[in-house]
Amino acid sequence: MGRSFHLARFELRRYLAHRSDLAFGIALPVVLFSLMMVALGPDAKFRGVMHVADLDGGSLASRILERVENADGVAVRRYTRDELADALGRAAISTGFVIPPGFSASVESGAPASIVVKSRGSGSDEGRFVTGIVQGALRAAASEIELRRVAGVLVGDPANDARLDEAVRQALAGARTRPPVVVVTESMWVREASQLDRLLAGIVVMFLLFSGTLGARALIEERRTGTLERLMTTRLSAGELFVGKFLAGIGRVVLQSFVLLGLAFAVLGMAGPVVFLQCLVLAIVVAAAVTAIGLVIAAVARTEEQAAFSAVVLTMFMSVFGGTFLPTSGTGWLDVLARFTLNKYATDAFVGLFGEAATLADQGAELVILGAVAILGLATAGMMFRVSSSAV
Amino acid sequence: METYLEAEGLTKYFDGVAAVEDVSFVIRRKEIFGLLGPNGAGKTTTIRMLSTVLAPDVGDVCVGGHSVIREGDEVRKRIGICPQELALYPELSAVDNLVFFGRMAGLSGREARARARTVLASVGLESRGNEVVKKYSGGMQRRVNIGIALMNRPELLFLDEPTVGIDPQSRNHIFETVLSLRAEGTTVLYTTHYMEEADRLCDRIGVMDRGRIVAVDTPTELKRQVGDPDQTTLEEVFLHLTGRSLRD
Repeated sequence: MGRSFHLARFELRRYLAHRSDLAFGIALPVVLFSLMMVALGPDAKFRGVMHVADLDGGSLASRILERVENADGVAVRRYTRDELADALGRAAISTGFVIPPGFSASVESGAPASIVVKSRGSGSDEGRFVTGIVQGALRAAASEIELRRVAGVLVGDPANDARLDEAVRQALAGARTRPPVVVVTESMWVREASQLDRLLAGIVVMFLLFSGTLGARALIEERRTGTLERLMTTRLSAGELFVGKFLAGIGRVVLQSFVLLGLAFAVLGMAGPVVFLQCLVLAIVVAAAVTAIGLVIAAVARTEEQAAFSAVVLTMFMSVFGGTFLPTSGTGWLDVLARFTLNKYATDAFVGLFGEAATLADQGAELVILGAVAILGLATAGMMFRVSSSAV
Repeated sequence: METYLEAEGLTKYFDGVAAVEDVSFVIRRKEIFGLLGPNGAGKTTTIRMLSTVLAPDVGDVCVGGHSVIREGDEVRKRIGICPQELALYPELSAVDNLVFFGRMAGLSGREARARARTVLASVGLESRGNEVVKKYSGGMQRRVNIGIALMNRPELLFLDEPTVGIDPQSRNHIFETVLSLRAEGTTVLYTTHYMEEADRLCDRIGVMDRGRIVAVDTPTELKRQVGDPDQTTLEEVFLHLTGRSLRD
């Protein structure tokens, strides 16, 4: 076994000396995750724009727009009626608001009035978000008007605006400082797994799968150049050679996992060495499974091109149908297909750990399946392992 | 002279076709034995059987008193292989390559590093051993290829076309290395397509054709079979024994 470990260590040195492998395996994920961190990081706030044509121009419309503008994460962009119609028609925006002429006067006189929301299809997340903010502003304005009306009746002098304004101001200030009803949020200290968690976990698994399966190409290259055969004329046995290559594959994938997980944690804003260590342990099991698959490819493929093609097709198939980009839970053929991919189990396990909804101990089924893939792949590759490219 | 290697009835089939058939010959201790033959004659397959990489379907080989079939590990302790291909890791330095193969041959880390320095000097690369091999010229890479085979101080060295595609200076250096190895007591099996090389280096030559040994003798005696040894070239002998038809 000593020679196997030495061989594995040597292989890792070769990996670190191979710039193109490093660029693909480590530099590319660093760039990708950095971009994701900038775009989707935990500090990134949702921002929306209220695209509005204010045809009223009255005091109430102005107060509502001012209230929306003061809301966190929302800006107001004003249009004419035609400009708004044009922007919606060109799909430059998905949701627009029209405040009709006479809106303020109608509301203040007690007549019903409305703001029109125009959407392309069902609108967008941004449109729904902004509509919610606008509805909130409208409810606040309606409450204020109602309060003003009630106060006018109570003070018996509806015409005395100054007294009314003062009474309403005091009532609203009191409601702000001592709200009659509040919602209390209790945190369970559990981070809910999000779509971002799944995407990052899926990408981590996809890169690990690429790394493990593309290792097959390097093994075939060694077979072609004769280094494997040359090693067989040393004291190294075929078994030691095979084990050494397997350990080297695991080492390479684990090294990459360390970087990828570090990046994923940075993007998700996660902390905690315990979770990281659990993810790393899971990565070792995944590494064993993907390396075993890589060895099977190396055993079956005759040329480096065949190996690279097989690795890419297999990885892309497993990534697409294993839930990296699309959720596959539930029923239907997609779910059935996902069960035949390694990614489903690896991604599910990582998502559980990322979301802190589960510990490694809770991932028993996934670990067993990944371990079984590793053992089965290793046994298959071991039976088919060849050191020479010629007809031996 | 004492026999060091004895091949007896070696036969190997691939897909039912005999690549090597009933090959028998001996190599004496401290001699340079040339194994010549046209492409596809079975030289490389024979070397792979002699070096334990390939098990013969029929026959056996005895190397230093050990059977390649039953005592493969004992045989591997005693042999060094320099294959036709550059079987090394070009992205690493010559030292890294030598030390790695030395470790795989059973040397400790310290022994392998010390041996690597000696070997680098013997192949004329002592000053450039830490450079990555892919930056070397073809001749330098060939010398590293040979150096790897020397790491375990082999008693029997297989050199399979070690001078393909290199300049006269590197070729001459390889000749000198081979001759000095013989002087130190190493037995050498040498294959080449360059007849003047075989004539210059080899004590005895075996000619293979179509998977069989068709002649074994000293260069002079082989020439005598065709004509006056002083007037005949080894190439003429080769063409006489193997014919002039083109091979695949």
